[in-house]
Amino acid sequence: MMFSAELKKGSTEMLVLSLIEERPRHGYEIGKLIEQRSGGRLRFALPTLYPTLLRLENRGWIRGRWVEKAGERERCYYRLTPEGRRVLDDQQQTWNAYVAAVNDVMGTGRA
Amino acid sequence: MRNWEAFVRDRLPLPAHTPMREARIIRELAAQLEDFYREALARGASESEADAHACAQIHDWRQLALDVATADRANRQPRMERIADTVAELGQTRGGGLKMFGDFLHDMRYAVRQLIKTPAFTLVAVLTLGLGIGATSAIFSVVNAVLLRPLPYPEAERLVRVHEIVPQYGLFSVAPATFLDWRQQNSVFEHTAAYNAGSTTIAGTEGPERVPSASVSWDLFELLKVTPILGRTFTAQEGTPARQTVAIISYGAWQRRFGGDRSVLERPVTLNGTSSTIIGVMPPDFFFPSRTTEIWTPLAFDPAKATRGGHFLGVIARTKAGVSVETANAEMKTISERLAVQYPQQSANESANVVQLLENIVGDIRPVLLTLLAAVGVVVLIACANVANLLLVRASVREKEIAIRAALGAGGRRLCLQMLAESTVLAIAGGGLGLLLAYLAIPAIKALSAASIPRIADLSIDLTVLAFVVGASLLTGLIFGLAPMWHASRTTLGHVLKEGGRTSSGGPGRWVRNTLLVAEVGLSIVLLVGATLLLRSFAKLTSVDPGFHPERVLAFQVSLPNAAYPEPHNRAAFFSTLLEKLDARADVDSAGMVQTLPMRGDYVLSVTFQGRPAPPPNMEPSANYRVVSPKYFETLGVRVLRGRVFNDHDAETSPNVAVVDQAFADRHFPNENPIGHRIDVGNGGTGLTEIVGVVGSVHYEGLDTNPHPTMYVPYRQDIFSSMWIMARTGGDPARLGALVRQVMREIDPALPAFRLGPLTEAVTESVAERRFSMLLLTVFAGIAVFLAAVGLYGVVAYTVTQRTQEIGLRMAIGARPGDVLRMVVGDGLKLATIGVVFGTAVALGLARVIETMLFGVTPFDAANYSTTAMVLLAVAALACYMPARRAMRVDPLVALRQE
Repeated sequence: MMFSAELKKGSTEMLVLSLIEERPRHGYEIGKLIEQRSGGRLRFALPTLYPTLLRLENRGWIRGRWVEKAGERERCYYRLTPEGRRVLDDQQQTWNAYVAAVNDVMGTGRA
Repeated sequence: MRNWEAFVRDRLPLPAHTPMREARIIRELAAQLEDFYREALARGASESEADAHACAQIHDWRQLALDVATADRANRQPRMERIADTVAELGQTRGGGLKMFGDFLHDMRYAVRQLIKTPAFTLVAVLTLGLGIGATSAIFSVVNAVLLRPLPYPEAERLVRVHEIVPQYGLFSVAPATFLDWRQQNSVFEHTAAYNAGSTTIAGTEGPERVPSASVSWDLFELLKVTPILGRTFTAQEGTPARQTVAIISYGAWQRRFGGDRSVLERPVTLNGTSSTIIGVMPPDFFFPSRTTEIWTPLAFDPAKATRGGHFLGVIARTKAGVSVETANAEMKTISERLAVQYPQQSANESANVVQLLENIVGDIRPVLLTLLAAVGVVVLIACANVANLLLVRASVREKEIAIRAALGAGGRRLCLQMLAESTVLAIAGGGLGLLLAYLAIPAIKALSAASIPRIADLSIDLTVLAFVVGASLLTGLIFGLAPMWHASRTTLGHVLKEGGRTSSGGPGRWVRNTLLVAEVGLSIVLLVGATLLLRSFAKLTSVDPGFHPERVLAFQVSLPNAAYPEPHNRAAFFSTLLEKLDARADVDSAGMVQTLPMRGDYVLSVTFQGRPAPPPNMEPSANYRVVSPKYFETLGVRVLRGRVFNDHDAETSPNVAVVDQAFADRHFPNENPIGHRIDVGNGGTGLTEIVGVVGSVHYEGLDTNPHPTMYVPYRQDIFSSMWIMARTGGDPARLGALVRQVMREIDPALPAFRLGPLTEAVTESVAERRFSMLLLTVFAGIAVFLAAVGLYGVVAYTVTQRTQEIGLRMAIGARPGDVLRMVVGDGLKLATIGVVFGTAVALGLARVIETMLFGVTPFDAANYSTTAMVLLAVAALACYMPARRAMRVDPLVALRQE
């Protein structure tokens, strides 16, 4: 099952932020993780994902750094900034509250 | 694996980003595409499949550019902030001042990429510019070598040439006594020196040779501030009549004749039959007064015997520090006018004139060279207009791209700078090509102008020329870059979208294109008018009857040394033997001689008439004076009109006789027969001379001058030691050379025949300067018309492409191919006609500039202008016809389907 672009659009930023919460990741890795963890149901193409990374970095929520790891090419790794962490917490709370509310309305949560 | 960074850079327009920011974005996108590629490989895809997979990740680059620009807004606007950011970034990494350079390189790189994508456009533009800049650089290198470079002497700006002004002749050589007075009385010169250029026979191992030489004041080298590389210069002692026989030689002569042997000093050499000693060798680059001078000997005259009548000295001087040429001129005039009062018999009404030495050498050619430089400047302007038009057309085609870049945040200024970068790259490429063309043209220019332009041997591409080429290229880049810049700064996305993505063919862009085209046609008319005027002048000039037949005549000079031929009868004997022996050879139809070759140099004497009141001193009429052998007239084909010419009985002891020419007869005997009249030639030393014949006039001063009155006397009655011998043959005169040398050896093995060559060369040389300017201007006009035609073709062809749908519609509703043809050609010709009218007006205004370069045609000749206009309109019609034919073949269905 695929989701419409409209639906995905609202959550892209949160997904990116949460994926780099545990450790810094590079752009391609982020894209792949979204795909894997969603079991292929969520897929963000490069032209969508990259401008998002730029936008987040410009807002000061994430910070990219070019790092060369042993045995790999040099890549730009993004990590969460303190402000990014605060924003992520906010967004996660809002999201959880929203999902709970939607579920309540639709009655699926009580089934 | 492909270069992913290049792949991204070529597709992602990021005009609003700083180079560093752009580089980072490109790098990261490239890194991710590479990840896609490698992952596909790892999954087992082939290289090409992996490549296709990675490439497919981004479909819409423009959208991505828009998204990146939006997301990265903080990094692009406002511009000042962006610059500050970059400066800060650079300040951390490389130090601040590199920012401008980085930006500039970035723009240039982008421009080069864009130009490589459109090779046809780039090729035409670079060729056009190369042609224009090349022609300009070639002419500028001539101007530089001839007019701008100082003479090769220290502080050459203080060197001046001093002439006498003689009432009948104007600027004139200086008489020895006058020179001595000048030297003594002036207070403005550090040194004043005289010289007398001629030639000297030098006895060598391979027989005698005549070499260019000069006798010079002993302190000439001190005046020029040049010291010999070997030995010494003359002493004051050696500058007196009781001088030792000493000589200084040129570096070239030292190398050629003495193998650079240092023991050459104090070695005796035989000069003009006299044993002399070489005391010095001058440096390699030294020359005076001409480049070919090989030997200098001291010039000396006894002050007690020096005369004021014989004018034969060249005088140069070095002004004292701080004395201007004007001051020197004023003082020398004062001195000379005082002398004129002091010596009324010899120097009445004489004066003096001082000019800078360089001006004296190149003053005559300056207007010609400057005219050519202006003409070639016009060619460059036309080239600029052409390239500007090409750029404009290109800019309209790229309107969409430009608009998108503008929408992405590239400000008008930024876009302008990028347009400018493109023009600069084109200008640099054109400049490089131009430099190459100029370099290739230099040998041709040297060959073409060797006889007519002083100092042309120095022609080369030096730092000044290089600086000029760079300056001219950048300036042209700026000029032709302006129009498209202006156009770009007005482009907006809304405007383009309103046009429906179609490129515009109307509006202000079209107006600029048309104006440029009109200017181009107008400028080429100006050049074409100038070129035709010069061409017709040249044709008229070369069709002038010179009054003699130079074809199939070999000329050479023989000089008899005083040592071996001290008396007039010795010389007469030599020359008559030589003429007889030549005449006797089967290959020689006739042999004659004269002391001054036609068209090369003059010899003028005053003349008075028996039975007419004597004019005041120095106001006597003058005439060409030619000392000739009896067969001179026959050999040169000069017509005998009345009376007789000379024969072998007109000898030293027989009564003095003269033959005059038609011009002389017309001037002095307008209503009577001159034969039988007696004249006094020169200052009356030889008594009266009877006129015995009248011959046709000869253009001795050149084809462009009316023949001056001329008088001839037999050589036995005024024998010269140096004569020009002429031999007429039935075949190629050059083949007589061996025969001449053989005859000379038979008579006197110690004597060389020199300056040997066909007489036609003298005529050719006399028109060489005109041919030089005529040929160059014709070439420039040709280039101009060609460029204008290319420009017209380009604009009409572009318009036809733009109007394909309109033409299709017209044809669909009944227009015939002929109507379309008339419409397209008519539109083009309308522009051309405006250009022709405007150009003709300018040409009329400028015609006076080349008036002095014309001969036999007036600068305002109506036929000339109308013919020129016709030619240009015909060329324009042809240039329009080619694209119009394409328009005729438009298929209405195909054209309309494109909508």
